[in-house]
Amino acid sequence: MTVDPNAATQGFPSPEPARPRPNPARYLVPALVAAAVAIALGAYGKVHDPAGTSFNLAGFSSTGAVKSWLATGAFFFAIVQLVSALMVYGKLPGPRWSAKLHRWSGRVAFLAAVPVAVHCLYALGYQSYESRVLWHSLMGCFFFGVFSAKMLLLRSERLPGWLLPIVGGLVFTALTIIWLTSALWFFRTFGVTT
Amino acid sequence: MKRSGPLVTLLAGLLLGLFLLSLNATTGEKTTASSVQESPSTKASPSPTPTETTPSASPSPSRTAAPTGVYTGRTADDSSAVAISLRDGKAIAYFCDGQNIESWLKGDVKADGSMRLTGKGTTLDATLKGSRQLSGTANVGGGDYAFTIDKTEKSSGLYRANSSVAGAKIEGGWIVLPDGEQVGILRRDGKASAAPEIDPETGAVTVDGEQLTARPVTP
Repeated sequence: MTVDPNAATQGFPSPEPARPRPNPARYLVPALVAAAVAIALGAYGKVHDPAGTSFNLAGFSSTGAVKSWLATGAFFFAIVQLVSALMVYGKLPGPRWSAKLHRWSGRVAFLAAVPVAVHCLYALGYQSYESRVLWHSLMGCFFFGVFSAKMLLLRSERLPGWLLPIVGGLVFTALTIIWLTSALWFFRTFGVTT
Repeated sequence: MKRSGPLVTLLAGLLLGLFLLSLNATTGEKTTASSVQESPSTKASPSPTPTETTPSASPSPSRTAAPTGVYTGRTADDSSAVAISLRDGKAIAYFCDGQNIESWLKGDVKADGSMRLTGKGTTLDATLKGSRQLSGTANVGGGDYAFTIDKTEKSSGLYRANSSVAGAKIEGGWIVLPDGEQVGILRRDGKASAAPEIDPETGAVTVDGEQLTARPVTP
């Protein structure tokens, strides 16, 4: 986590010097990894018998409340992501540290989403008994797939300019749908409780 | 030049996920193991059937025999508890959130292991999954609750008491979950409140200073 992505990696000789011709693996590998992650999560959620319960955090009334607040935190940082991305791309006036803000808010959002997903997959599994749940299950798997793709794409240089915004937008859209179909539903159903 | 930051992020997420998963798996094993070991030691059933301790020995449950047993667990959203007792093709179920939502439901178990139970304005659809699990959805109080519940090792996890104390009609329902936690509602003249704990060995419970006995429910 302390590695600065912009730091020059001069310590190691670059194993792959930049090639003049575009390499299809640059797109293929992230796309395949994304598909593999999404399918693996979905398959685990479907095959694994939901445990029904999981450990809870002290101070919260239920695991649903814990997850809803973690998801809301992730969603908040996802909005920071959207704004800071617009700053990085110069669509909005922003401070010099907007790129750093984008990286770190993204990490926080992702790490906040992981425990929620672990609980979902472990305790509840992939379910489709109503449309809200189906969308949530689908988008949950899709989110971690497309997020992996985005992280891997970031490692490539000279991508088409439209690619990262599109993939980032997909990540944001997926997280929004996930939040709407879970935390918002929870707060509307059970009230805004902790 | 390749950036390593995104990879580190992904790796951190993966490690966090695996760590939480192992935490879940170990705590989960602990509860099931303790419930298996506790049920014989609680002397409620001094002769636990030895076949139940080796469920994997018979991977093909005979479909012809009517399923029997008590299944208890929590709903998927963790808000409520469900217990279903099966015997001779009949099923009785109790759904309870421990505060004010509860329902008793009854119905028949079909040959394929599915059942549709009904109560007062409530329905419950469930299907047997193998010989040790029931999975389904309950529609209670306008909400749908998915659940997957496991067969209990104890003789029963589903109790009911009807009596009158100091002129008030007392109706209580309890679900004793495998980890020993109880979810129950007590109604005094129809007014619901959280139920006092029962002694799962004897069914003894003290309501407003008077000792009652909650009895295991079977269809």
